[in-house]
Amino acid sequence: MEVWRALIGPLGFAAKSLRRRGFHSYLAFLGLTLTVATTTLLLLLGQDLATRLGIDSSMRSTFGISWLIFAYLVLALALVSIVGLLSSSYLVSSMINQRMRDIGVIKAAGALPRRLLSYVTFEAFVVIFSSCFVGALSALLIYASWSWPSVSLFKQFGPVPNAGASVLIEVPLTSFLLCYVVASVRVRRIVGSSSVNAISKQLSNLDLKSLGNPLRIKRFGSAFNLATRNVSRDRGFNRTLLSVGICIFLSMVVLSGALVSADTSTSYVVRAMPPHVMIVANINIYNQYVTLGTSFSGTTPIPSLDYVNESYMISPQNASAFRAISGVETVDTRLITMSSITGFVKAHFASNQDTGENINTQIIPEIDTGSAQALIVGIDPSNVIGDWYTSDGFLHSNDAPYMMIAGDSLVGNIVQMPLNLSQVSAFGFRYDVKSALVDPLNAGRVLYAPVQTVQQNLAVSGYNVLLLNVNNNPAVFSAVTQLAKSYGLVVGSQDPILNSNLEFLNSTWSHIFLIPILALTLTCGILLSYLATNFSRRFNDYVVLKVLGANVWYRLKLLLWESWGVLAISMLIAIPTAWAISIFFLVPDPRVSVADLELSTLVSALALSSVSVASATIYSRRLGLTTVKDLKL
Amino acid sequence: MMDPQDEETEVRAPTLAVDFVGVSKEYLMNGKPVKALASITLNVKEGEVAAIVGPSGAGKTTVLNIIAGLEKPSHGEARVLGLDLTVSNEHSLSAFRSANIGFIFQSYNLVSTLTAEENVELMMELAGWSDSGRNEKLTAELIRMVGLTDRAKHLPAQLSGGEQQRVAIARAMANDPALILADEPTGNLDQKTGLEIVKILLRLKGEKGKTLVVTTHDDRIVEMADVIYRLENGSLESVDRPTRVRS
Repeated sequence: MEVWRALIGPLGFAAKSLRRRGFHSYLAFLGLTLTVATTTLLLLLGQDLATRLGIDSSMRSTFGISWLIFAYLVLALALVSIVGLLSSSYLVSSMINQRMRDIGVIKAAGALPRRLLSYVTFEAFVVIFSSCFVGALSALLIYASWSWPSVSLFKQFGPVPNAGASVLIEVPLTSFLLCYVVASVRVRRIVGSSSVNAISKQLSNLDLKSLGNPLRIKRFGSAFNLATRNVSRDRGFNRTLLSVGICIFLSMVVLSGALVSADTSTSYVVRAMPPHVMIVANINIYNQYVTLGTSFSGTTPIPSLDYVNESYMISPQNASAFRAISGVETVDTRLITMSSITGFVKAHFASNQDTGENINTQIIPEIDTGSAQALIVGIDPSNVIGDWYTSDGFLHSNDAPYMMIAGDSLVGNIVQMPLNLSQVSAFGFRYDVKSALVDPLNAGRVLYAPVQTVQQNLAVSGYNVLLLNVNNNPAVFSAVTQLAKSYGLVVGSQDPILNSNLEFLNSTWSHIFLIPILALTLTCGILLSYLATNFSRRFNDYVVLKVLGANVWYRLKLLLWESWGVLAISMLIAIPTAWAISIFFLVPDPRVSVADLELSTLVSALALSSVSVASATIYSRRLGLTTVKDLKL
Repeated sequence: MMDPQDEETEVRAPTLAVDFVGVSKEYLMNGKPVKALASITLNVKEGEVAAIVGPSGAGKTTVLNIIAGLEKPSHGEARVLGLDLTVSNEHSLSAFRSANIGFIFQSYNLVSTLTAEENVELMMELAGWSDSGRNEKLTAELIRMVGLTDRAKHLPAQLSGGEQQRVAIARAMANDPALILADEPTGNLDQKTGLEIVKILLRLKGEKGKTLVVTTHDDRIVEMADVIYRLENGSLESVDRPTRVRS
């Protein structure tokens, strides 16, 4: 005798019931296991990736770009968690709904409600617990067998031992608790309702309000009309639409969010370092400027240099000579130097409202926020090449002379928010901080100030770097090179610096794109579970149609309209909303490539549609094998 | 000169609705062949009512499946309304079924999401009748014929067993089929409700002149049959009325 037959009590009930409903039990277990496994794996990978990127970007990149990447990762992982938990609870709810008739029959046969409740809840517990356990184990095995050395980022740091250890416990445990609560509430509700309602499963699943008003569009044919009636009369239609819609919406936010964030971070770098700009400087300063420019993407230490050495200086007359060359559009005259700076928060009044109408005002004394080495760039605000992303605008010619713009890597430590209370001490003088900007130069540890002020502070009269914006005429390039040579200066393009930085950004984002791709896979899995459950529920109706003479094409069209219809409605609402959220609320001053968004939408729509077409085709083939004998009595 | 086989087809097709010669059906169960039908011969003339009786598991539903073209015979010749089922593909069989056959099941098997009238109208759509105005009119007529005008907009789950079976009969008539197959149509109904169904089937025979093949345990249906077959252990034999009454 098989062991399960000898079991009694809740365990015996669960074992026999799950065995009797083999296919449906397997489907519920598989759907839930897949969801838990994918969610856990995604969060494990995400956390590992975040840790590695954290180590990587602490050595290079800038605070603003790192923040953008981390904000995206945190958001993506939070949304993936929501998708995973939502779909798990939806699957459990569907699983319990399938048991509605059985529960009604057992109750009608005289089972005590309390015992019935404990038996059915225990059965759900068995499925949920085993799914969460197997799901977590599968995720761990896949994660452990992940080929880290094949990816440069992973090769660089090797395995990160503790990344994701907590995820491995938290995700399955949260999924288990949520699913168990959903199952308990649902079972309690069914057990508490009338046996007659529970037994009349068909009726309880149908929405009687929509009767008599079927949607009929002659052009789409009978299969479409039947599909709309089937779907619209399903009482769970709105819930399904909402669940599938939310999952698609969240995975689209993750996907389009990655694209928008990637495009925007690239745009921040390009705006700070525009292409086709020529650098004119003494060879030593030029080399130093290249090292400073590529410190965003490299880990080479910045060598020390006497930036204001007389031999490096370009006089204002020489700078004007470059400006006089026909075809030179802008000459950005810069005086750069590395200096120790100290940050301060100015003394100010702080008001806080006590209970009632009492307002307490207190004086906060000046605070020293620490010292650091930073690159100070003196620039002429009226002739600047660059269109940085700034928090409160760039310097203007009419700004006070002791005003600075802080690079993003100084914000949060040397420069504190709010910026209007921040001051920076450099060369023994106090500068007010007007704004913050994202700049790859010296990996964001940079301060921009009016060049005249910097010249006065350093007691020099010229510049040490010229950035030239020229037209595309090769003769202009030749003229600039000639003139520079005559002054003992070298000429180079800013493009290699920009390209190196963009390459680093692209490489970083290409690793992160694993997250949205897996999130989309998770949504496809959820859709597959929904379709399998839905088709199984209406299996009898499809067999009847086949017996009555519905041909293969009619059956396939019906299944396609039913599956793709729900998907199409969900996508129609979810995708534009996800676009809007990603474009307008995710990152400041976003730059979006329409082609990227179109591509991401196309990829998502194709992936999800493929799932619906594949499941409809497989089910249609399965229907081809049925006969009258497959109809339920 | 006409081939003798062609000549035979020419003669049989117009008069025999169902013409099975030496039809057998085998299934594989756990890798072993199981014989469901053993070389049966079944002839049902047009306008005739044939009742097939026999114990459960004898193969009655298999016979109906083969007549409807849902299953192919393992051996033998099977023609229904002149169509050779053994050589037809699934697409042509579906078209044949939707145009020529009406099906009545023991457990009604109405499409659960459609109302009574929509279930009837669906059959017309499957048969390729695209004139919705005409379909609606015919549906109303059929619904009236089975006495369910006031229940036309109800879902199957809102109807009693007898009412559902009446809808199923109206649906079986919807495509004006030449042949109606009924699989134990009163099997799930009480005596009184079953009698109502029998009366409707009698009307189909008397007024509409439809050919009916019915598998049943119900004496009242056997009573109205023109020919009676007994199926046991996969073998089919024609029985006379006194034998039937005794059984």
